[in-house]
Amino acid sequence: MSWLETISPPDIISTNGHLIDSLFLYTSIMACLFFFCVCFGLFGFSWRYSEKRNKVVDYTYGNRKNQLKATLVIGLLVFVLIDLTITWRSNNDMIQEFWNFPQPGEDITKVEVLAQQWMWNFRYAGADGEFNTGDDVLTNHDLHIPVGKKVEFRITSKDVIHSLFFPNARIKVDAMPGRISRMWFEPTKTGIYDIACAEMCGTNHYKMQAKLYVHTQEEFDEWLSEAQHLAKIGNDTENLDNFWGWKWGDK
Amino acid sequence: MTYAHGKHAAPTTFLSKYVFSYDHKVIGKQFLWYGIFFLGVGGMMALLIRWTLAFPGEAFPVLGPLLFPHTNGIVPPDTYSMLFTLHGTIMIFFAITPILIGAFGNFCIPLMIGARDMAFPLFNMLSFHIAVLSGAILLGSLFTPLGGAAGGWTSYPTLSTLVGSPGAGQTLWCLSIFVLGVSSTMGAVNYITTVICFRAPGMGYFDMPLTIWGLWLTAILNAIFLPVLGAGVILLTFDRVFGTTFFLAGAAATSGSGDPILFQHVFWIFGHPEVYILILPAWGMVSDFLSFFARKPAFGAKATALSMTTITILSTLVYGHHMFTTQMSPLLTQTFMTLTMTISIPSAILFANWLGTLYKGSIRFHSPMLFSMGVVFVFGLGGLTGLYLGTVSTDLYLHDTYFVVGHFHYTMAASVLLGGYAGTYYWFPKMFGRMMDETLAKIHFWITMIGLNGVFMGMMVVGFAGMHRRLYNPFVYEYLERLIPMNKFITYSALLMGVGQLPFVWNFVYSLYKGKKATANPWEVGTLEWTIPSPPIHYNFEEIPTVKCGPHEFGNPKLTNGRDFQYQTEELVK
Repeated sequence: MSWLETISPPDIISTNGHLIDSLFLYTSIMACLFFFCVCFGLFGFSWRYSEKRNKVVDYTYGNRKNQLKATLVIGLLVFVLIDLTITWRSNNDMIQEFWNFPQPGEDITKVEVLAQQWMWNFRYAGADGEFNTGDDVLTNHDLHIPVGKKVEFRITSKDVIHSLFFPNARIKVDAMPGRISRMWFEPTKTGIYDIACAEMCGTNHYKMQAKLYVHTQEEFDEWLSEAQHLAKIGNDTENLDNFWGWKWGDK
Repeated sequence: MTYAHGKHAAPTTFLSKYVFSYDHKVIGKQFLWYGIFFLGVGGMMALLIRWTLAFPGEAFPVLGPLLFPHTNGIVPPDTYSMLFTLHGTIMIFFAITPILIGAFGNFCIPLMIGARDMAFPLFNMLSFHIAVLSGAILLGSLFTPLGGAAGGWTSYPTLSTLVGSPGAGQTLWCLSIFVLGVSSTMGAVNYITTVICFRAPGMGYFDMPLTIWGLWLTAILNAIFLPVLGAGVILLTFDRVFGTTFFLAGAAATSGSGDPILFQHVFWIFGHPEVYILILPAWGMVSDFLSFFARKPAFGAKATALSMTTITILSTLVYGHHMFTTQMSPLLTQTFMTLTMTISIPSAILFANWLGTLYKGSIRFHSPMLFSMGVVFVFGLGGLTGLYLGTVSTDLYLHDTYFVVGHFHYTMAASVLLGGYAGTYYWFPKMFGRMMDETLAKIHFWITMIGLNGVFMGMMVVGFAGMHRRLYNPFVYEYLERLIPMNKFITYSALLMGVGQLPFVWNFVYSLYKGKKATANPWEVGTLEWTIPSPPIHYNFEEIPTVKCGPHEFGNPKLTNGRDFQYQTEELVK
């Protein structure tokens, strides 16, 4: 592993994660550009106009016309290069991708998520296709999804605020008690990845990790049907704690 | 308007002189000691945190076994949460606020505007005594059965309600912040009134030094927004003590349901202006010092003051960018993003004016100047990295990572700390009548600069690599294991920075007793505090001065008196 790799963000496994990296890159270029100007002034003037090199100062508060000009030019540069471009790009990314949730009826993987101190619970619909029934597939710490298909999460929390964070998809959303938040992405690579809790949630916050298993569609189908079978025979339908889910709905 | 708070005789007993003093100069010094004490406490906590992140599971050297005998000197996870919670709380409310606002605000405002004291001296004294009470409550909370607050300095419910923090520590934290809010509001009301009513005759608002502009704008923000935080923590206390459910929801809300997100709104309506509350005094000082030590008028001083005002107003409208991941409505997030971005325009003007001041100056690199230039450097970095976090999409990834930690340390910690040091070196002669040692000050500056850039740049790097905040041991995550070397680097930088403060402490204490005697005007600056002896007499001015020119009159070629500057009491040479 080269030195640069040790400090670069994890591999992207979603169709839209690169948008965030590329906006990050653009912002970095702009930041470097402007910071270079600041440093140029700071170090350049320090050297050129030190007491040793320059005895006579320019006695001026800046005349009004020049100042107005400078203000306009700088203001316009900042406005166009930074404010306008970044806001515009970010808005496009959000509207076209991150807020563009799958349509009702689209063929997607649906997962309900319940966060609790200090564990992630995941719920898949059982064989009946309905959520919060006795045959739902319940897992904790392990999230299985198929590659190449959108997956939508509906997330809530049992106790305190948590945050579901997929570093490889560059995305996170808070899990809040009393609310259901949503998130989607489409995985592009199979493999095993980390899921983290990004919001401070108590002493064992650091242990609240889960694993993301991205399978091929066949592997996933195989896993799901076995899990559904096991759920049917193994779920304790007497235990109300197992019914933390809700109807999916067409929100 | 009357300037005659008739002159009382100076107090003579120890108690009336140093404890129950109405004198703004003494109260300023009290706040300085208080702030420096807590800076030390908060700094030690930072080192404990850094040690845990770089060497998880290893005992903290020397002090560890004394502090944590049950774990053989290893910081336990619950203590770790307490440490970062109190590190944030202490640094923001008990170190930076007292030093920048309490100490410099109290000391400088009357001296720089030509007043004999603050508008409400009794308020001023109470403000310090209440701050002491607040500090005592906070430190006392550490000795409750379950320890101090451990829900982060933001103390989001429901973690900060009984659901997540059953101990008395969190309740005491709320009370301590509330009490501190009372103290700061008292101070703020005092500063605002003093600046409006007690300016020396002839001093218009734009004749005030920019330091006063910064402190004044800060006071206005404080007076408006601290009560909001006070309301928030009081409601939180009700939830904890009286069983209300303002901020409870989910399984814990057995009798009706409130909304934990409501607290975040309340908190950040205060919390975002708070960032500017901390940085504005430093900006003001830097704007002044750059002109004072470049021996040149402050370029566009009026525009600087107006930019600071614009930023002050904008700062009240952008708080939502702290909450992008709570999935508020897209309309709101877009609005907050756009408003946040517009702050970059007045900030750019501010930077342009700072550099314009240096241009064609004759720069003297005394310690206050070095520290001021340091502020320009680190605030440049801090401000620009804010762009990533004000942007909704990049914030999805960076929110709650160390990138955020690095960013706000650059803006709130690094810039404000350097600004505070600049002020300390600059006004030390006026405060104590002695000079601090320049060589030690320069050593202090360079070590601090190298250390803090290592720490905070390192934090941004590990943050971009995906390491999130407030983890006791980040390396339980496979994808973070590769960051161990970088975290060690950050910790070594932090240790360097810690060691770098020793020359300052030595310099401060030594100069207090043995420093070279200061003349009335060692820096050759024309603002009002330098027209009187160092240290100033009781009630500052024998005669209330009349102001005849601005604070930045340097290098006027028509000056014939052998100086390159004019006192504000002198008629402008034309």
